[in-house]
Amino acid sequence: MSNGRDEVTVDQPIVAVCCDDAATLALYDLGSGDNLGTVPIGSHPVHATLVDGRVFVATMGERSVSVVDPDGTVSRVETGVLGPSHFAYAAGHLFVPCTAGDVVAVIDPDTRELVTRVSVGAEPHDVVAHKERVYVGSRSEGVVSVIDASACEHRADIDVGANARVQGVEVHPATGRGFAVDQRSARVVSFSLDADPGVLGEATVGSDPYDLFVRDDHIYVPGRGAGTVHRLDTALNPEMVNEAFTTPMQVVPHDHREWVVDRGTDSLASVDGAETTLPVPGFKGLSTDEGILLSHYDERLVSFVDPNTGVVWSEPTPANPFGLLVI
Amino acid sequence: MTDDDNRETTRRAVLTAAATTAAGSAGCLSVSTPADIAATTEIEGNVGYFVGSPWLADHRDSVVALDARPRRLFREERVYGARHVPLDEISAQADTAAGLIPDTDAIAETFAGLGVGHDDDVIVYGDSVGSRVTRTVFALQALGHRGEIQVLNGGFEAWTGRVGTGGKRSVSAAEYEPQRRSELWVTREWLADRVGTFNESGPGLVDVRVPEAYLGATGSDALDPAHDRHGHLPGATGVHWLGNVAGRRIDEPGGLFELYTGDAGLDPERTVVVYGDENVNPTQTWVTLRAIGFDDVRLYDGGFEEWANVADDRGRYPVETKTNAVVETEGGTGGTDGGDFSCTG
Repeated sequence: MSNGRDEVTVDQPIVAVCCDDAATLALYDLGSGDNLGTVPIGSHPVHATLVDGRVFVATMGERSVSVVDPDGTVSRVETGVLGPSHFAYAAGHLFVPCTAGDVVAVIDPDTRELVTRVSVGAEPHDVVAHKERVYVGSRSEGVVSVIDASACEHRADIDVGANARVQGVEVHPATGRGFAVDQRSARVVSFSLDADPGVLGEATVGSDPYDLFVRDDHIYVPGRGAGTVHRLDTALNPEMVNEAFTTPMQVVPHDHREWVVDRGTDSLASVDGAETTLPVPGFKGLSTDEGILLSHYDERLVSFVDPNTGVVWSEPTPANPFGLLVI
Repeated sequence: MTDDDNRETTRRAVLTAAATTAAGSAGCLSVSTPADIAATTEIEGNVGYFVGSPWLADHRDSVVALDARPRRLFREERVYGARHVPLDEISAQADTAAGLIPDTDAIAETFAGLGVGHDDDVIVYGDSVGSRVTRTVFALQALGHRGEIQVLNGGFEAWTGRVGTGGKRSVSAAEYEPQRRSELWVTREWLADRVGTFNESGPGLVDVRVPEAYLGATGSDALDPAHDRHGHLPGATGVHWLGNVAGRRIDEPGGLFELYTGDAGLDPERTVVVYGDENVNPTQTWVTLRAIGFDDVRLYDGGFEEWANVADDRGRYPVETKTNAVVETEGGTGGTDGGDFSCTG
């Protein structure tokens, strides 16, 4: 597992879909798309991750994280603060930004207990782990907070701009750099992962950027407002801009291509020009060995797509589908 | 007879004369006479603390009147024989390991200096029924005051009886041995131990500040620059305290009960904590809730100022900025940020 984000190796191919408005996790057979039922969980589930066979679900409308055991039993871990949004795993702990507050909840996945809360920049959202550190972007204070994952203590705030609204955060271990997307100013900022972290540089990207994706030595940043995907090198020098999109949400890897999930177009296109038709526009994507899973938030569908051959299956969901996970 | 005594007059007589003059045309011009105003301050039903001007007229000789207004107004004109309550002194705080609490020794000393005894029946009045008045009520309750404590509904404006003016008259100091009622307030640590439970499995929690402060709305003038952080305690419901007041009177009690039990979802039989930026304004809601029948209402005396500026381990004292739990009253939302949030940006 890698933060439950983009690439997952599957043993039991069951797809779990966070159904935002229905407060459920909908389950599907990855191969056939057969609906395997739903699991009622907390309000507004958005993202899920897998730790030792247990599914942890960020229920953004709660002050808790829902946990689904392999036998379907659901329990909760109280975070104390509203808006659990994402997960990062480091030093044996799950780190969960509470977006409606100013803390990251630290959860012991074995005992399913809250270990502590770490104070970070207000409205923390995306999170990524690297070695013994956790990096969390603040939507309202223009910082990326750095947490010592073993000590569960706040170590530093990297100032990425007073007005910055940090959405996506990623790391590039080979160069010792981290990257943060500033939605408000349409920038991507690089920072050092050293013990004394600081900003290294920045580059302009398409308007309303939200997420970013790092692969090999390239940084991909979709600009939702501009309909662009910028590709930059790790020093943030621009390499190319693809302007063929409408509302690009996310870049998802599969095989040797980078596929763009576009909320405004009935197709899945790659940054280098390949394309496959979809039943409806995509919203979130998750790469698997056999293809790409897509949630279609606006149309309440979930699809499994082989980018080379087209849609394998497409099924309705109980409510607006958000994050995806393969169990 | 002193100069002060010479300046004293019978305000009721003056107002009665004015009312008589106006009475002839009051019906066709819809003019409210002072007697009409006084009558509107009367409270009906099972409501604590608040009494109207006629009640005070009937009981003036048996209660100590405490004037909670600024000293300037007290000097200009006051209920005859009233004593001025210094707000800063009755808001004194003591710093403890658990956080700031009311300094009951200092507060008791203040009331003793005003000649208020432990068993005296008192009536507190102000310009209206705002937080200066209610802080005085809270301070007395915190001391375990044994006498009756009443609030003049309608404030000084409603008083039609004898008035005094000038500097304060000397009074004999009283003995006041406080019997501290710590169940009437909570501390920072009490709250920190219960983060995540407010308005759910734990106690009710009401933030009495304006919605902009409650939400930590970026750019709003309501944000106190002295605060390191902005927003509210996790799970608190925002109900601006001014919504309790209608002009100079307490708002209609039935409506207030519906506001707090219906819109705000509070259970009158469970513990409810109120807080603001400091320890004065939230006492208005503290008194109001008790007046309309809430059994166990407590004040966070340290307030958001203490919570937001705590120096260490802020993860134990988190602040939320997003919610949908603002109950609209008199305040309006402003600033540049609303309370909504999502994972779609």
